[in-house]
Amino acid sequence: MTLEIILQAIVAGLMMGLIYALIAAGLSLIFGLMGIVNFAHGEHLMLSMFTSFWLWSLLGLDPLFSIPITILLMAVCGVLTHYFLIRYILEAKMLIQICATFGLSIFIRSVAQLLWTPDYRNVQNPLIEGRIELGTIYVGQPQLFASLICLLAFICLYWFVTKTETGLALQATAQDRHAAEILGIPSDKMFALGWAIGLGCVAVAGSMMMNYFAVFTDVGINFALFAFVAVALGGFGSIIGCLYAGIIIGLVESLGGLLIDPSFKLLYVFAIYLLVVIYRPQGLFGRY
Amino acid sequence: MLDKLSLAKKEPVWKNNNKVLYFLGSTVLLLFCLPFFNVNSFYLHLFIMIFMHSVMAQSWNVIAGFSGQISLGHGLFFGIGAYATSFLFTEYGITPWIGIIFGMFVSGIIAILIGIPMLRLHGHYFAIATLLIAIGFSLVFRRWDLVGAASGLWIPILPTDSWVALQFNSSKVPYYYIFLTFFLVTFLLSWLLSRSKLGYRLRAVRDDPQAALSLCINVSNYKIIAYVISAMIMAPMGSLFAQYILVIDPATVFNIEISIVVLLITVLGGVGNIWGPLLGTVILIPISEYTRIYLGGTGGAVDLILYGLILMLICVFRPNGLISFFNRDVIDRKQKR
Amino acid sequence: MKKTIGAILAFLSFICAPVVGYGQDVKIGIIYPLTGSSAQIGKDAVAAVNTALDIINNKHDIPGMPLAENEGLSGLNGAKVSIVVGDHTGKPDVGVSETEKMLNDGVHAMYGAYFSSVVAAASTVTERAGIPFVNGDSASPKLTSRGLKYFFRVGPHDGMFTQLMFEFIQDFNKKNNANLNTLGILHEDTLWGSDSGSTQNKMAKEQGLKVIEKISYKASTTTLTSEVQRLKLKDPDVLLPSQYTADAFLFLNTAQELDYNPKLLIAQNAGYVDPTFISTLGDKAEGVISRSPFNTDLAKTIPMIGTINEIFKKHSGGRDLSDVPARAFTGFMALAVAINNAGSTDPEKIREALVNLDIPGEALIVPYRGVKFGPDGQNEAVRGVLMQVQNGKYCTVYPYELAACDLVYPMPTWDQK
Repeated sequence: MTLEIILQAIVAGLMMGLIYALIAAGLSLIFGLMGIVNFAHGEHLMLSMFTSFWLWSLLGLDPLFSIPITILLMAVCGVLTHYFLIRYILEAKMLIQICATFGLSIFIRSVAQLLWTPDYRNVQNPLIEGRIELGTIYVGQPQLFASLICLLAFICLYWFVTKTETGLALQATAQDRHAAEILGIPSDKMFALGWAIGLGCVAVAGSMMMNYFAVFTDVGINFALFAFVAVALGGFGSIIGCLYAGIIIGLVESLGGLLIDPSFKLLYVFAIYLLVVIYRPQGLFGRY
Repeated sequence: MLDKLSLAKKEPVWKNNNKVLYFLGSTVLLLFCLPFFNVNSFYLHLFIMIFMHSVMAQSWNVIAGFSGQISLGHGLFFGIGAYATSFLFTEYGITPWIGIIFGMFVSGIIAILIGIPMLRLHGHYFAIATLLIAIGFSLVFRRWDLVGAASGLWIPILPTDSWVALQFNSSKVPYYYIFLTFFLVTFLLSWLLSRSKLGYRLRAVRDDPQAALSLCINVSNYKIIAYVISAMIMAPMGSLFAQYILVIDPATVFNIEISIVVLLITVLGGVGNIWGPLLGTVILIPISEYTRIYLGGTGGAVDLILYGLILMLICVFRPNGLISFFNRDVIDRKQKR
Repeated sequence: MKKTIGAILAFLSFICAPVVGYGQDVKIGIIYPLTGSSAQIGKDAVAAVNTALDIINNKHDIPGMPLAENEGLSGLNGAKVSIVVGDHTGKPDVGVSETEKMLNDGVHAMYGAYFSSVVAAASTVTERAGIPFVNGDSASPKLTSRGLKYFFRVGPHDGMFTQLMFEFIQDFNKKNNANLNTLGILHEDTLWGSDSGSTQNKMAKEQGLKVIEKISYKASTTTLTSEVQRLKLKDPDVLLPSQYTADAFLFLNTAQELDYNPKLLIAQNAGYVDPTFISTLGDKAEGVISRSPFNTDLAKTIPMIGTINEIFKKHSGGRDLSDVPARAFTGFMALAVAINNAGSTDPEKIREALVNLDIPGEALIVPYRGVKFGPDGQNEAVRGVLMQVQNGKYCTVYPYELAACDLVYPMPTWDQK
């Protein structure tokens, strides 16, 4: 077990962590805005991966170039979700919201199975392929590009939410919806925007993952799990918390798997979350 | 002020609604006589599943409805109950009846161990914590060779029916009665709980923990008590399930779907109300069974599409649960608050 | 009040309705996972059963395939076979529910179900009812060690598959004077992967081989970098993965990323023999060995396989035959032949026909020596082959008497591919 091997694990974990962070950011934004945990988040990831796949399969667009289209399509999907379902459950109890988004996840997954069969699909010969060798550290190009683009998207998201006027309007709606409305910020439109951006994040992550991942109807489940842990670990309502939490999860998974036992690597991630919340019940940066 | 107090004092301890009592009594009688109508084994199986899920939903109702903590990992107690009886039986030949008690005991201990650190967490944090712990159990049991790892425990099929070994191969009827009995007992216990001081304190904790605290109700202790009670109601269902199906593996008994189904049933039936879980079970279980049987054979997941749609529709149009179709007092009381 | 009583009575009378009677035709209940993580496998298996049904019920000119030339079962005066398909979703209790429903609908036999846990639970139901349950594709050895009288397994179990792999390793050592003796086992953590991994672990110890790394990972995992890193560190002589399609892709992609070059990789089929495995991975798949009871390339030497594959493609939406559907097809045909031999739909006669069943190897599309059940219900004439991906095609490399190619050892490294 040399230092290089550990460094390799750190690099791999970091890259994966950035992807988890972006997926979690979408979830966190939606929760921060309207207090709804989107249990269909994994299915939205699956939809964005399928969108990227079909754009490649039917139109020949490489996943890298079809990102803008995927973002647009997923944003529309987000707005539709808001207008057809979420709008009606905003005032309902948390339990009903959980059930509704859970019903949505079953619905999306089943429609996907009906339309596209449960078979595995792959993008073949994507533009970004192969590996780079930095000394003795191997970095796969798809993984590297995926994590860098996810980081970029995250930075864009953060800049948007904190520095632009719309972003501040979003934050205002998140803090106090009614006060924001009095100030003339239409909360309904803000919520729809939140969904659009949230699913846009997922679209970026999903598209980049198509370079080295297979898509199938159940692919979102495990990623959604990590997204939930990342949001909870980072603290509900904090976007920067997602970044830290995502990276921590990626690193713990990678290093724990290497140094202790890969068979239990998920348990290490769970243990970190449980330990953190015992000492900090609101997560690392949580507002609640 | 005085008016309200005298009004409250005049309210009867229970609503002596004769019609309801007759209805209940005759339903119970009917349920006991059902096997004599030569009902075939598929319908017996359906009823057994309804009874089992009702009890599981009641168990979840105690922690979520009565004390307001949303547990997304309740299925883990089901799994513990299932493994407790099966392990004791396959390894040591101990009768499942003792296994059930052992399962309840272990579940209670685990509930305390989880509850003490985790019950201080609020809403979503607690939910995620329970989810992770349940998945953790699933992962550990899949890798634990002592209890069969991922293939689980297969209970040997006995040549003759046996009440001692809780196994009946010639007919489902004894299983039916055992499940029916547990169902009625649990229902009675839940009703007693809701009427007891403990029940009222739990609901105080759910509705307004700060106010409860000011009334010297030790919020954390009561939350833990609720969690332990609900765990101990859940475990026997796992045990009975193991004796009924005779094959248990982590993918089945530690499945997150158990936790989700229990949540769905209770919420859609109506949380915090002892009739809610029952109503939810009676509606949702047959819907999911029949949609799967008649629509599921095509491989297009049409039955699940319908199931997802029904869930969303109920959430949008009946956010108080299906119980709101019946119980106007519930709605009125909520609106008055 | 009256309305509610009326409604309750109506509800009860509806659900307690008498069982509908059935006609002369043979009715078989089929259960497979049609939703969930193994849905594609379930769908392929049902398509295979439909292929067999097509052959049985219609006239086909397929020399060597039993029941093909006539319409229906000649032993029952041309009675057609019909199936009732149910989705067990991977859960034993749902499997029990579906089986109960089908038994109440009057099926004469049950067939399925891929998941060993579901088969175990469902076959308990059929045993209690005295109806035969035939299985073609579930691999847990425990299924045939329960002393059931009405359960028959046409396909091999994990022990037999793994036996083949170890025989190969020993033969290879003898033939090439090599000393392969360290093993790495990588398996996903569902029932299939876990059973496979633990069977391999147990057999390795019995054969005196050392397992230096045994890793179990959560199925459909998001990343396999730690696993690959560990394997690269330990560098076992032979790697034995048991993975489904998505994980197999991820593993090979990660191995390429981290430059892990196993010398010998013998997979427990599944993902490694998916119809799209070679087409998706291209060169990355070179050198991978998998055991399989089936190989579409055999179609060149056994024309029957080609014809069956064409019919299968019609029922499966264009997918080729692969391991599980081939076994499912074979198992169902065996059941149909037995019913034909019995000349009756009486379950006892069908059971007896199954006990006495003897189908020669030439009548099968899989390389079994035949179908002949031992006293425990296990087909004792099973046989598998090991195939290696060479030049973009699977080629049988073991047993040596069936081999069409020489083994390429060691596996080509990533730089060479």
